[in-house]
Amino acid sequence: MPELGRAALLVTLGLSTYALVAGAYAAHVGRRRLARSAQNALLAAFASTAVAAGVLVAALLRNDFSFEYVARTTSRALPTEYTLSAFWGGQEGSLLLWLLILTGFGAAAVSVNRAWAKDLILWVVPVFAAVATFFAFVLVAVASPFATQAAPADGAGMTPSLQNPYMLAHPPLLYLGYVGLTVPFAFAIGALLSGKLDERWLIATRRWTLFAWAALGVGQLLGSHWAYVEVGWGGYYAWDPVENAALMPWLAATAFLHSVMIQEKRGMLKVWNILLVILAFSLALFGTFLTRSGVVNSIHSFTQSSIGPWFLGFIAVVVATSLAILFCRLPQLRSPTKLESAISREAAFLYNNLLLLALCLAILWGVVYPMLSEAFRGEAVVLGRSYYDFFLRAFGLPLLLLMGIGPLIAWRRASLKSLLTTFRWPTISALATGAVLLVLGAGSSIPGLVAYTFSAFVLTTIVMEFARGTRARKALGAPSWLGAFTSLITRNRRRYGGYVVHAAVVLFAIGVAGSSAFDSVADAKLAQGESMRIGDYTLLYRSLDERETANATEIRATLAVQRGDRDLGTLQAGKNAYTVEQQVSNEVGIRSDRLTGEDLFVIAEQINRDGSVQFRVFVKPLVNLIWLAGLVFLLGSVITLWPDRREQRRLVARASTVGLPATR
Amino acid sequence: MRLVIALSVAAVLAVFLLYTSIAGGGNPSLAPSELAGRTGTVQLAGIVVGPVRGDAYAGGLRFGMKDIGSKSTTTVAVRYTGSVPDLFKVGRHIVVDGQLRKGTFVAEPGSMITKCPSKYAPKKSGDPA
Repeated sequence: MPELGRAALLVTLGLSTYALVAGAYAAHVGRRRLARSAQNALLAAFASTAVAAGVLVAALLRNDFSFEYVARTTSRALPTEYTLSAFWGGQEGSLLLWLLILTGFGAAAVSVNRAWAKDLILWVVPVFAAVATFFAFVLVAVASPFATQAAPADGAGMTPSLQNPYMLAHPPLLYLGYVGLTVPFAFAIGALLSGKLDERWLIATRRWTLFAWAALGVGQLLGSHWAYVEVGWGGYYAWDPVENAALMPWLAATAFLHSVMIQEKRGMLKVWNILLVILAFSLALFGTFLTRSGVVNSIHSFTQSSIGPWFLGFIAVVVATSLAILFCRLPQLRSPTKLESAISREAAFLYNNLLLLALCLAILWGVVYPMLSEAFRGEAVVLGRSYYDFFLRAFGLPLLLLMGIGPLIAWRRASLKSLLTTFRWPTISALATGAVLLVLGAGSSIPGLVAYTFSAFVLTTIVMEFARGTRARKALGAPSWLGAFTSLITRNRRRYGGYVVHAAVVLFAIGVAGSSAFDSVADAKLAQGESMRIGDYTLLYRSLDERETANATEIRATLAVQRGDRDLGTLQAGKNAYTVEQQVSNEVGIRSDRLTGEDLFVIAEQINRDGSVQFRVFVKPLVNLIWLAGLVFLLGSVITLWPDRREQRRLVARASTVGLPATR
Repeated sequence: MRLVIALSVAAVLAVFLLYTSIAGGGNPSLAPSELAGRTGTVQLAGIVVGPVRGDAYAGGLRFGMKDIGSKSTTTVAVRYTGSVPDLFKVGRHIVVDGQLRKGTFVAEPGSMITKCPSKYAPKKSGDPA
């Protein structure tokens, strides 16, 4: 069996190398049949990678510990679903998943688009193949998932905190996102190489980019929720390099999704868009490198991983080659139109892009700073939470405001007078919200208050947009208000799906501001029968119980919770001691208030022999809006992603009449 | 026009970055063997060495730390108070902030971070389990 896996990976390496070399040669000299054969090699590479993946899945399911990988990541006692999740639980398996998704996406994107964008696809295939060749090479030569050994009696098992339903969805979603960003990259570079620099590469990749971006977004929120509920330190995001690894490409992709509209509508920002795509893809590679190499969490363990240098080398090659190709094509990428005014929709989108990019680069700087300072000053300096929080406020708050301005301001040139009418109600509602919150005591955190004021502004613009559009549809003869509303969305999914995503971002901002700027915390050591207070909550530590389960001893402290005079029932917090893995895990108690979105969050930090417990209790206002935002984000993404034949036909038709930008 | 905006924003960003990294900067990250003679707050990254004694909420948890992956056997005594992560135990890689006082590294309350289990770094035969 391991032989089959190894052979399949070798075949993948051979096929992708062939697709790279033959594809590039065929595109260069214009041999259609050879190009076709290179495309087929890419499809076949997906099939052979799928065989390799099948071998690994079978080995995992059969607990075949003669596979080093299986022995290292699973054990006999592990439930089947987590045995499967061990596929992406280790370095080699997750690289194989990368390659599987990459060849799958490559095969699909090429098959879907080769009929209408032939000359573009010619050069897209070798770009895909180049990335696939790198991953196949790493899997064959450096980090093989099919290394064998004399089978031990049992495997090493999986860390308890990963034995969790979140780990079934969170990593694969992030990989879908990382790998998905290869598609716009391959098409952008393919467009540059082929010299077909019209908007077709944008049309071909819009949904892929959206999909990758949505998967990255949802994947990160799932990860945050996992950290909040399971890891149990009282937060959901710690600016850990591994978390930042997913956030950076997401921010770059967000910038790209916006600037693309400017290219479509006004023919501007062509070079900028390609730069963003290169950046997003490089950051996706960098993110995989960060999570997989172990280079950042301990700066002193660079040599621990065998793939680190290969990845760094590949990223350097990708960045250098792409920039060189872009540089050669610069003369053909001149924009036919120019920015006319600093107060216009184009300008607003440009500011949005610059802020997103600034935030992304500030985070990147924070992530690589320890490595850079070690290299140049001989001492690794770590930038802490305050660094990231500063930039999140400095760049994130203006971004929030722009989200309300951008979609409404006029194209080309907006007069101050028109601004006053457009933004009268949003401004009034923002100021009113700010004033009310100030009276209610939100002045304790100025950034929090600013975030709420801006959120009110944006929400008002979104509601106004939906109301105006629905009214217009009704006036055009829609039978009912509901009918008018749905036809509004279905007729312009991109626009209204985008607004729904904006609403999700606002909910997210409110949740983050509430739970980080206005939270409170209390620590107390309680003996049974004693109580503590936090805000208007009273917690009475009632009893301590111990329970044996199949693989763990569970200790739980039961607390009776009161808010004011109202009895809210009991809450349990404690620890699980896992027998086999010899590990302890915190099991936090959370009480969510459905009406206000507030959480009471109890950690039993230390359970003493005499039965007393060291408690740490948080009150986190509005934190549940963050998870609600995730659902709304998903809804908005689905609306924009939903297949729309009419729109696709219109775009294809426009592109075929020589990519003239439609000015409006 | 576009260039002007881009350049001005880039300049602002550069200033911000320089400012925070030089003036408001972070703490140096050191291995236990590099700690001798250091004053001021640093981040200490290393492996927990037993025995672990004391109470993190009363008088402080006491343990030793040595370098990760190097031959050096220098062990630094550490006193820590505050929240102890689940994964803390002898042999684990941890990071704490604090400073050296009279030969003992006094950690800032609640600053301990253990190596996140999601890293899955390949286990080396030399590593303590």
